[in-house]
Amino acid sequence: MDFVVSQILTGLSLSSILLLVALGLAVIYGVTGVINLAHGEFVMLGAYCAWMLQTQFGWGLLASLVPIFILIAILGWLIEVLVIRHLYDRPLDTILATWGLGVMIQQIVRLTAGGELRYVQMPPSLSRSVNILGATDSAYRLFVLGVALALFALTWFIYSYTSFGLKLRAITQNRSIASCFGINSARAYRLTFAYGAGIAGLAGALISPLKSVSPEMGTTYVVDAFMVVVLGGVQSLLGTLVSSGLLGEISGLLAYYSNDTIAKALVLLAIVIIIRFRPQGLFAQRVRA
Amino acid sequence: MSGKVSLQILLYGVVCLAILLVPMVIDDAFLLNKYSRYLVFGILAIALALSWGYAGILNLGQATTFGLGSYCMAMYLKLKTVPIHTGSDGLPDFMVWNNVTELPWIWEPFYSTPFALAAGILVPALFAGLLGWFMFGGRVTGVYAAIITLAAMVVVNLIIIDQQSYTGGFNGITDLAQFQLFGFEFDAYSATTYYLVAICLTFALFLSLAVTRSKTGLILQAVRDQEERVRFFGYDVAVYKTFVFAFSAAIAGLAGMLYTIVMEFASPTFLGVPLSLSIVIWVAVGGRQSLLGAMLGALLVTGVQGALSESETFLDTWTLVMGGLFVLIVLFLPNGLAGAFETIVRRFMPAAKTPTEQADEEHAKGTAQLGGAA
Repeated sequence: MDFVVSQILTGLSLSSILLLVALGLAVIYGVTGVINLAHGEFVMLGAYCAWMLQTQFGWGLLASLVPIFILIAILGWLIEVLVIRHLYDRPLDTILATWGLGVMIQQIVRLTAGGELRYVQMPPSLSRSVNILGATDSAYRLFVLGVALALFALTWFIYSYTSFGLKLRAITQNRSIASCFGINSARAYRLTFAYGAGIAGLAGALISPLKSVSPEMGTTYVVDAFMVVVLGGVQSLLGTLVSSGLLGEISGLLAYYSNDTIAKALVLLAIVIIIRFRPQGLFAQRVRA
Repeated sequence: MSGKVSLQILLYGVVCLAILLVPMVIDDAFLLNKYSRYLVFGILAIALALSWGYAGILNLGQATTFGLGSYCMAMYLKLKTVPIHTGSDGLPDFMVWNNVTELPWIWEPFYSTPFALAAGILVPALFAGLLGWFMFGGRVTGVYAAIITLAAMVVVNLIIIDQQSYTGGFNGITDLAQFQLFGFEFDAYSATTYYLVAICLTFALFLSLAVTRSKTGLILQAVRDQEERVRFFGYDVAVYKTFVFAFSAAIAGLAGMLYTIVMEFASPTFLGVPLSLSIVIWVAVGGRQSLLGAMLGALLVTGVQGALSESETFLDTWTLVMGGLFVLIVLFLPNGLAGAFETIVRRFMPAAKTPTEQADEEHAKGTAQLGGAA
């Protein structure tokens, strides 16, 4: 019993990280159709911001979450205005442009903060462990899970129940007709991109105490997050939630029996096979190329 | 039309000839080795231009197939090493360090030269063919396909690093014998190796040109511009795309084999994200819809990089500059330098514009507005 619970908790912890990173990606891709390959770098920047605020200014991690969200969101907003905006009718080129931006961000961080691994302190109030049904888990991991779910709920609420969300859904279905009805789609895209970037930054900050922080950390996260989005289906926020849960649990289980690398390879193999037969993802209604 | 084709073949031929003549002028073994490396990258750029520029498949993991080819060659050359340093039964040194007692079965066939040479081309092609069949059969296109190629590369890279006792892990396969074929010995620092690479480059370039000029090539370009319409005409789009994907992988595998000969080792970094990104950048700079342009783009970018890499700080800034340049090219020069060159030629030589070309241009404008590369 202990084993089952602790295995589920390990999986849930993996899932929460996946969900945090994939959520921003799914929002941006679902609304604007842009694959943001710089997403991993937003995550990395969030983690570096947490590190910097902690070492330079002595801020606790919890206190720096909101400033980090705002900071990275502003960066995302700028990138949308300067680059992405010009590429909405060339989807493949958005991949390239965001990839190039990612390289630049990575290199700037390497040149300014150095290439060494950095470590971020866990908030002291959360650095104990909690007993759940006989298994122990760190309180911080549960906190991350809670934040991930809360952010998901918030995004879900905005998307489904606010008038802004209604406009977003209209734009997703048909941008030009939505514009004809007076929806400012350019502004909606900008806000979406900024929001997605902000969530990525938040994800990075939350991950930073669990993993080491380095300029290259973004790449692995972004690939994993894409797998989540591909598996869940792009038009479906719920799909993102379920598939990150699924992938997290499966990776956790496979990693227990072999190791992380084999787990990753098997998961990718499964995804490639699944999209052969369900290209639209497990939970979406229609495919968007 | 036929005049234009022969002009193109002439242009390609002149460039290849110029490349082949380089050792007549330069005698420095170190420089020749460096140039051979650039030429290998040129082959790699041709491979990507084929799948990306002609079929619209943006392969973000082109380095995967490059690395597979490179490892095949390294395994072959490793077994040729005499004396194999520590092993009792001719085991490669890193296996002994990892307590492997007998040669793994995957390594066994690499004693045979024909097998190893074929494997360097076929293993990447099969890998890409399989991946392509799953992707294109499932009608996964555009950005999705790009992401999956990227993910596949990350995973293959992880596996190679993880399976240390079979692949040498993080260190790769080093300390290789020299490649020998038909009595020639290909020392990495010699004109012989340069010629080998240059001839392979010429071969790859003209073979690819032939493919793009064939009916298959035309259908592929049609798929790139309007996939649905080609499907409605009754063509099996997935087969064509899988073919070009595997073909491009085979060329990349060839490049990988040559790279091992030139560098004298194979390493997991050959399948890394940075190299893949570089390939995309070369092709974007040179012009994705021109095989020659893409190849020259690779030579230009790696050449400049090589010249700057003398000092460490320069190299760091170079990555930054390269990223910025890449973003600018994507924004303002989607067809790269080759596209810019063509535009300039047309502007200053209006006579060069035939009615068919004008129609082509109108058509190109039309598709660009419809959403081009999608």
